[in-house]
Amino acid sequence: MTGEPERPMADRQTYDAPEWKALLDAAVDAIIVIDHRGRIETFNSAAESIFGFSAAEILGKNVSVLMPQPYSREHDSYIHNYIDSGNARIIGIGREVQGMRQDGSVFPIGLAVGEIATQGPVKFVGIIRDITDRKQSEEEIHHARERLSQFARLSTLGEMAAGLAHELNQPLAAIATYTQACQRLIESGQSDDEEILATLKKCDSQAQRAGDVIRRLRQFVQKREVGRLEVGCKELIHDIAALAEVDARNNRIPLAIDVAEGLPNVMVDAVQIQQVILNLIRNGIDAMQDTDQNNEGISVSVKQFDSDNIKVAVTDHGGGMTEEAEKKIFQPFFTTKPSGLGLGLSICQSIIASHGGVLSFTKNRSGGTTFYFTLPVSPETDT
Amino acid sequence: MIDYNPTVFLVDDDEAVRDSLGLLMKSVALASQSFASAAEFLAEFDPECPGCLILDIRMPGMSGMELQQKLIEMRAILPIIFITGHGDIPMAVEAMQRGAVDFIPKPFRDNELLDRINQALEDDRKNRESLVERGEVEKRIEKLTPREKQVLELVVQGKANKVIAGDLDVSQRTVEIHRARVMEKMQVRSLAQLVRMVMQIQQ
Repeated sequence: MTGEPERPMADRQTYDAPEWKALLDAAVDAIIVIDHRGRIETFNSAAESIFGFSAAEILGKNVSVLMPQPYSREHDSYIHNYIDSGNARIIGIGREVQGMRQDGSVFPIGLAVGEIATQGPVKFVGIIRDITDRKQSEEEIHHARERLSQFARLSTLGEMAAGLAHELNQPLAAIATYTQACQRLIESGQSDDEEILATLKKCDSQAQRAGDVIRRLRQFVQKREVGRLEVGCKELIHDIAALAEVDARNNRIPLAIDVAEGLPNVMVDAVQIQQVILNLIRNGIDAMQDTDQNNEGISVSVKQFDSDNIKVAVTDHGGGMTEEAEKKIFQPFFTTKPSGLGLGLSICQSIIASHGGVLSFTKNRSGGTTFYFTLPVSPETDT
Repeated sequence: MIDYNPTVFLVDDDEAVRDSLGLLMKSVALASQSFASAAEFLAEFDPECPGCLILDIRMPGMSGMELQQKLIEMRAILPIIFITGHGDIPMAVEAMQRGAVDFIPKPFRDNELLDRINQALEDDRKNRESLVERGEVEKRIEKLTPREKQVLELVVQGKANKVIAGDLDVSQRTVEIHRARVMEKMQVRSLAQLVRMVMQIQQ
């Protein structure tokens, strides 16, 4: 930052023209002109209110005072690089960066930069918008969406309660029966240590089995930081398949899962994508409640879609959808189920869209419906 | 009294539940045989083999209820104890109405389950004994001549010799001879015994 109060005089009269000044001060966005060394030549009234500096105190100072680190430190070299090489990092592109107010507070800004060709050294004009509100509402929307999907996950599990209770009951019944049998064997004096030991191991693995059900449930519903991580397709499907199978088994509908070998990884919020898969499977189960096709069941397949995307498809052999349902299926509050809220698929669609994929469906030739979605593969992945 | 060597047939799709029940049977010295599905059980089902069936009501493929229906159609007499889980009560009631011996919710107390198994095995033994008796009675009837069968029928209806003689257009003396032969071939001494025996197979 150069502290000299020296004011470059080139083209000054142009900026001082009343029309020009009126134009600058009427602008909603901050408009700042700097010279080739980064010194501020023009600072309109919107800039004053956004940054908290008056034009009088800031003219002639280096524009880097309006930026937090590391931009502030690097800004002079950005200008030099551009002047030397002509490589534009920001000019004509516009991007979201951070600004710093006079009080030191940092806030998000949208910045567009243009180059001013003059007789003398080059100058730059920056147009700056305070995007704090937009960022905040984006974040709020993001959180609201996560709260909604959290709620949807809880309500899904609520609907699955009977099946989950059954799934916990099985290992409990086995453990109870094993231990009762052991007591009888020991009491009657006909036990041998090996058999008792083997049975204790079986009890242990049944206890683990019950614990796994609980662990998966907790993972699925716990409040958490929303974040995307690179995961393999197999891992992504594995945990949710275990929960979905509970529901399928409880409804006596076979569930077949086929994940192609050698698929690339995806960069996703795993719980949200699993929520979508579970939702689609559960819809398939509901669609098959009233049909005789139950032995055909539901199949889930994960395949390469094109070079940049994988595709997850859930195929049921139910009665298919009515024309009305087909038109409205993704609308919030549209439901064909007596106790449905009608939010499942619209939540699924927003989850998939936020991952850069597409959720859609086709009618099967052999009856029923296939819902499928695509997901972009992770850029760094090795197949 | 015939020898009674029952087997407890266990049908449950859950391997651990099946295995633990097998061990429980072993602990009380009951022979058992396990099947992972209703279809597997049906494939090896032998109506002659005594015992009882412990059947999970909720299974993929053929359900417990469907297996019960098949066994009813086959006129199998094997008693069925249904194992039910959470929320299966309406189904269990229907199973009972169709003649299941009992149902028992999972997880079960061993005493409760073993009591019910013992009861079922007792029922099965009695059923099989009475079937044997019935077979014996049928064999005896087979040995009667057509005329003796006619006499038997009329005697059981409570008709007097004189009436029977009129019905068949023979002498009263002839009816008496036929009647004595019937009593002898059916191995009974009184009319009451004879009537009871015939009623039994007519059930």
